[in-house]
Amino acid sequence: MTSSGGWRVLAVDDVEPAVGELRRMLDAAPEIGSVRTATDAVTALKLIQAEPLDVVFLDISMPGMDGMELASLLSRMQDPPVVVFVTAYEEHAADAFGIGAADYLLKPVRPERLRAALERVRRFIDTPAPPAKPAVDSLAAVPVELAGRTRFIRRDDVRYVEAQGDYVRLHTPSGAHLVRIPISRLEELWASASFVRVHRSYLLAVPAVRELRSDLSGGLLAHTDVGDVPVSRRHARELREVLLDAATRGVFDGGGS
Amino acid sequence: MLGVGRRIADELRAGIGGPGAPSAVRRLRRLLGVRTVGLVGLGGEEVWSGNGLDPRVVQEMVATVLRTDNRAKGPDGLVALPLHTRDEVAGALVVTADGLDRAALDEAAAWVGEALERARLERSAEIAERAELRALRAEISPHFVYNSLTAIASFVESDPERARELMLDFAEYTRHSLARGGDYTTVAGEFAAIEAYLALARAVLGDRLKVQLRIAPEILPVALPYLALQPLVENAVKHGVEATPEGGLVQVNGVAEGNEAILTVEDDGPGMDPQHAADVLAGRGDPNSVGLLNVDRRLRTVFGPGYGLVIETAEGAGTKVLVRVPRFQPGVVA
Repeated sequence: MTSSGGWRVLAVDDVEPAVGELRRMLDAAPEIGSVRTATDAVTALKLIQAEPLDVVFLDISMPGMDGMELASLLSRMQDPPVVVFVTAYEEHAADAFGIGAADYLLKPVRPERLRAALERVRRFIDTPAPPAKPAVDSLAAVPVELAGRTRFIRRDDVRYVEAQGDYVRLHTPSGAHLVRIPISRLEELWASASFVRVHRSYLLAVPAVRELRSDLSGGLLAHTDVGDVPVSRRHARELREVLLDAATRGVFDGGGS
Repeated sequence: MLGVGRRIADELRAGIGGPGAPSAVRRLRRLLGVRTVGLVGLGGEEVWSGNGLDPRVVQEMVATVLRTDNRAKGPDGLVALPLHTRDEVAGALVVTADGLDRAALDEAAAWVGEALERARLERSAEIAERAELRALRAEISPHFVYNSLTAIASFVESDPERARELMLDFAEYTRHSLARGGDYTTVAGEFAAIEAYLALARAVLGDRLKVQLRIAPEILPVALPYLALQPLVENAVKHGVEATPEGGLVQVNGVAEGNEAILTVEDDGPGMDPQHAADVLAGRGDPNSVGLLNVDRRLRTVFGPGYGLVIETAEGAGTKVLVRVPRFQPGVVA
């Protein structure tokens, strides 16, 4: 349903700087083709009726018709755009999802949070299926050359992965093993096995985390029994959420030490 | 008989309009051995047991009772008596007297009045406790706000990306401090606020502030009151780092120990006389610096008297504040 030039997006907020900042961030996103803006709901409605739109980023608290009202109008359209609310208060979250919004962002919006929202939008938008995903349990063991012989390293033994050019180093309790595969490829293959990217050069096994540490300069490290893994600031928030989720499911209980 | 009395008082805990009231008047009717008993409150709430009565007659009798603060008689042996809480009329007891003597009726009315009074006190104590919990929520330090904004302003031209990042941290810090949603957050939520605070404090203090955080992932979901940890970190930075020209190190640790999460905040600053620390927790410290007292009171209100802060300190030996929190506490949900 989208035009080939990327998503057509409308950002609505009665606060001029807020809509400007949102536009700036949306313009930088690769999947977005065009960004229109409106500073009130009526103008927004006119734009929505005048041309097809894929996504609407909507402030809730606006004079006149507010974002909730506009969203419920949109939900009655035949082929409504995906709605993402952007607001200063948390109290509307339940209503927002009730209306069928794809996501709910708090102002001011962090770039990494906007990225996560765009990923959610992607799932709402009817795009052609991406190239066949790898099988769910691919590469559960990795062949490595060791003293001229091929051995297999079990994925479950890998605590973290470190990128080295076209190679990665798999860090396990039995040592580090060099394998020729790009880290981004391994990230795709192991995403369903609790591995998350925490740094440009590092992939981390979530259950292997023993402690979150910060070093003296404020950088974050994930401590595992085979070493510390640097966590970039961009990934810190996401990692904390993934760990919180894993801890809530009891992943770290009964692991000893 | 005494047991029945306690049960009736218990059932009136939520007042005349409460869920236990119908059962309470049923017991009261059986106890008095009469055909009909009813309670009517000031707000018009009522609850009945027994035969139906003419509502117009009842309404008129109750109105008389509430106006005159005296008993009112109706047809067919019907009597309405005032119910008192704190010497004020709080409603009426309506009974088909059926030959009961006056003293017995007065006794019953006094007794229901007392039960309602106790219910009222319990409710207001609960409300006061919750209000205290809210009021005790630590205030944002104006000192910190202006220092942060000054630091951000200084980066706007020289390092706009950092200024933007700090502004987002500032938003997160204030959002957490002004949180109005529930009363509780998680250790993860509190740590996010701590990190936002530290990013700002680093911008203000530069190299003088050194921080080490260590947190075990299994305690991230533990629920605790908003701002139970962040003010301790703020306190450590203020007294342990800002107060000394060469700066200092603040260490924050969180581990699981059995069914508890143990969290410590430690600085290597000037420390204090342990007696002074005890005074602070007893509310005899500087009235302008109530951060620790505040956290201590809220933790004990939520988790019980055994869960207050523990402060280890001595002159010249830094300060370590220890928080213990049950990992699972009924009713404490973030």
